[in-house]
Amino acid sequence: MAQTYSQTAGNNAASFTPRRKRRWGGAAPYLFIFPWIFGFLVFTLGPLLFSLIISFFDWPIVGQMHFIGLGNYKSMFTDDPLFWKSLGVTLKFAALFVPFNIIVALGLAILLNQNTRGTAIFRTAFYLPSVISGVALAMIWSWVYSGDYGILNYFLSILGVQGPDWLNDTKWSMVAMVVASLWGQGSMMLVFLAGLKGIPKDLYESASLDGAGKIRQFFSVTVPMLSPTILFNLITSIIAAFQQLTLALLLTGGGPMKATYFYAMYMYENAFKYYKMGYSAANAWFMFLIVLTLTFLVFKSSEAWVFYEGEMKRKPQKKTKAGGKGKTA
Amino acid sequence: MKKKLTFILLTTVVSMAALTACGGNNESSGGNSAQSAGGKGSADVKKLRFATWDTGDALKIEQDIAKKFEADHPGTQVQVEAYADGFDQKLAAGFGATNPPDVMYMWDFPTYHRSLEPLNSYADGDKDLNKDDFYSGLFNYATIENNLYGIPAGFTTRVVYYNKKMFDDAGIAYPKDGWTWDDFQSAAQKLTDKSKKQYGFGVRAENDTYDLQGFVWSNGGSYISDDGKTIDGFMNSKETAGAIQMFGDMLKNGSAVLTGGKGQQSGEDIFKGGKIAMWESGIWPLESFKQAGIDVGTVEMPAFPGKPVKGVVAESALSIAKDSKQKELAWEFIKYYVSSEAIKMRVADLPVRVSVVSELKKDQDPLYKPYYTMLERSDNTPAFLLNDKWNEVNRQLSAAVEAVVHGSNAQDALNQAVKDSERYLK
Amino acid sequence: MKKLFIYALLICCSLLFAAPLFWAVTTALKSQAELYLFPPKWIPSALQFSNFSDAWTIQPFNLFLKNTVIVTLLSTIGQLVSCTLVAYGFARFEFKGRNLLFLVVLATMMIPWEVTMIPQYMEFNYLGWINTLKPLIVPSWFGSAYFIFLLRQFILTLPRELDEAATIDGANKFGILARIIVPLMGPPLILVGVFQVMNCWNDYLGPLIFLNDQSKYTLTLGLSQFKGMFGVDMQSIMAITCLISIPPLAVFFFAQRYIVGGIANTGIK
Repeated sequence: MAQTYSQTAGNNAASFTPRRKRRWGGAAPYLFIFPWIFGFLVFTLGPLLFSLIISFFDWPIVGQMHFIGLGNYKSMFTDDPLFWKSLGVTLKFAALFVPFNIIVALGLAILLNQNTRGTAIFRTAFYLPSVISGVALAMIWSWVYSGDYGILNYFLSILGVQGPDWLNDTKWSMVAMVVASLWGQGSMMLVFLAGLKGIPKDLYESASLDGAGKIRQFFSVTVPMLSPTILFNLITSIIAAFQQLTLALLLTGGGPMKATYFYAMYMYENAFKYYKMGYSAANAWFMFLIVLTLTFLVFKSSEAWVFYEGEMKRKPQKKTKAGGKGKTA
Repeated sequence: MKKKLTFILLTTVVSMAALTACGGNNESSGGNSAQSAGGKGSADVKKLRFATWDTGDALKIEQDIAKKFEADHPGTQVQVEAYADGFDQKLAAGFGATNPPDVMYMWDFPTYHRSLEPLNSYADGDKDLNKDDFYSGLFNYATIENNLYGIPAGFTTRVVYYNKKMFDDAGIAYPKDGWTWDDFQSAAQKLTDKSKKQYGFGVRAENDTYDLQGFVWSNGGSYISDDGKTIDGFMNSKETAGAIQMFGDMLKNGSAVLTGGKGQQSGEDIFKGGKIAMWESGIWPLESFKQAGIDVGTVEMPAFPGKPVKGVVAESALSIAKDSKQKELAWEFIKYYVSSEAIKMRVADLPVRVSVVSELKKDQDPLYKPYYTMLERSDNTPAFLLNDKWNEVNRQLSAAVEAVVHGSNAQDALNQAVKDSERYLK
Repeated sequence: MKKLFIYALLICCSLLFAAPLFWAVTTALKSQAELYLFPPKWIPSALQFSNFSDAWTIQPFNLFLKNTVIVTLLSTIGQLVSCTLVAYGFARFEFKGRNLLFLVVLATMMIPWEVTMIPQYMEFNYLGWINTLKPLIVPSWFGSAYFIFLLRQFILTLPRELDEAATIDGANKFGILARIIVPLMGPPLILVGVFQVMNCWNDYLGPLIFLNDQSKYTLTLGLSQFKGMFGVDMQSIMAITCLISIPPLAVFFFAQRYIVGGIANTGIK
């Protein structure tokens, strides 16, 4: 992903004015990002290196550490069916959750972006679930999903449908988890909403003068103008999907029959149930590589679809198609 | 140059602000910074850290006990640390960073014993403890390789709870001690009324294999050989499989309902709603059943025909961390915590001292009596004390049990579990 | 007709999102006996308002509230200041290692806390910060990846002509940030503020790991005191949940109209 930006921004800078490179250089940028660098060095790097190091050790927390080289990684790939199982579960979850999360959040944001009365109330209602703490959330969902006594099945039975025992049915538990996760989309919706509000009205006006219908406007104005926000939400969704733990831990415990045994849960259990801290660290670093790769690919692709106003000369944006990008000039 | 100065100034201000903000906190937190060094920092007040998993009323009582101990020991402060659901995580962090609490609740001795202080010399050398007053056998649960790592503080056995009203409505006599699983199953069948979403019994979707050991032993089976070396022929024996299959069968024939796994609507909740007639558990939910207005009875576990009933004890003990810097004080606290005075204050589990039980006549109360009869039947050693790789084996066993409640054949599932576990035992 | 459809959709979705909170409130108001009835009783026959005060007073929740407010306020201020600086640095400068460093920023979001938790605990223990509120406050003064990323995305959508114009007027880099960029960043900054308030307010694992003594506990830790290893006090959990949801909800309600005020009213028309 690093490349993407250097190219985009670099080309711009060069084409915009040759003096810029000099003027933007110097120590100033480092001073601006200094707080983060300091915090990273002091609070993050140490623990990070520590976890990398212990991934080469056998460390049962209580007791001594033993160096075992690549032993943890080796047994992870060759000797642990749960590793593959949980990886599969998480990939499945991510594949369902990420697109739905973006669609639902964007849909709700667009719905809220219509000129209606009482939007403050509606916005607050849509955001409500994000305010409730995890412990209570899990309890609420358990009452919604319970097979014989659940609220969901109660309503379904009124409609004459016999609902499954959602959380104890291997076929339905994943769907139930995805829906429960989507319910907490409030933050993402809000980010979209802020992005939508930032799209200048005149773009829509000129698009409609050009004869574009609502749908054309959505794809030729909304999507490109919103693309930095979409990129942000896409990446944070992917990360969230891979780290999803709370719901599994509090709601299903990974069951039934490991159908919701997320990778994060597997890691968590290795660390705090089986006290294999070194092994868990190895798990974590592998997941880190996967997420990093995915993020890299997304960024790489973003070159083709993300559009930054600040990184190009000001041009009439309405001409920018979904495929357009900042590399104009 | 001026620009650079501005930035340096700015970042300095940010870091300063952050640090002073916290300095402010520190003042309000008083002398607690000394706490992380094991309490040795503060001049006159000795601080003892006590970690508990209890919550709600039970926690309140433990705080009261701590206050009484402080009153009896001037210059001491007991910091009750309530870890609740996050108990294992907190201990992992504490032990990992060699900053554990001085005294802690403990039950999983095979996992933690390497970080705990052996208490044999304390227990034997201190006649105030009066070791003989404890129910015999309780110390075994805290003993590993002849080292005692915890002093029993409370325990429970498992019994069958039944909803008297539901039995009355169905016109069935209340179960009595000495009943069999056949009695149990026929009662469960009669108590089930699917149209009312009412069931005779609830089977947990996620079972702790530890709790199932009582049934397995009652059927003459066991998870592991007595020497702790072999599981083949034990974990997958006909008797073990039979006991577990029974629950799968009850789910299949509809006389039992599958109740939620961790965090879901639990069997206890459904029992409180009057939709399950019988439920098996330790003493924990008894108080909440009463509060929910259920007319509840208890009875000992049913027997397999012609075989003696066996039970399993869930014990909580108090331990001292090996890294504790004030073991003497910790011991004093433990001693007080298991004294008759403190035991009488605690109601959430069963008293560990014979003298307290006979004084309170607990074993004659019909609601409590079954726990004590079950205690007499609990003389087998649980598998986790027999093999230090049990955690790994248990992972396979748990998966097998889960498969059974979801419809698999117990014998097949257990055979598979044995196969998957063998490599951990080599 | 179209308006009607939109309103219907809005109301349906609102019900969907708000119903569970309604359920939490009724649960908190129920008596023990009505708690587990099926079919569920939507409106309790007698409202037990005492459940709220009972739950609040069984543990020192006033103290928990105070601790939570301290942590939330200080860490939110910290996030706003530090993330603005860092995001600006990443969005508006060309410098050696920028892309690599930004990659590292993003990467820190991907590290699961399970593995860094214990080493972090060791570090804070070494600093003597365990059982103080510092581990929950200080790191937020050095920026969090999520917010840096968020603000950077916003700054990137601001036209550079603004900076250029200010430079010609003689403003330095910090001047541009303070006088041009920050005034335009009102909505995203409020967004970051709201998110940080929510995160802090509902954070469970941080307080769980770093705090020991009840006098330091935050609200979520207080809430978890009703969920033990052997049983759950559902009424109290719901009662406390309702009560502690009010402040963040109020914050959101008052902040939301600023968040959606528009992010790129860039001044160029």
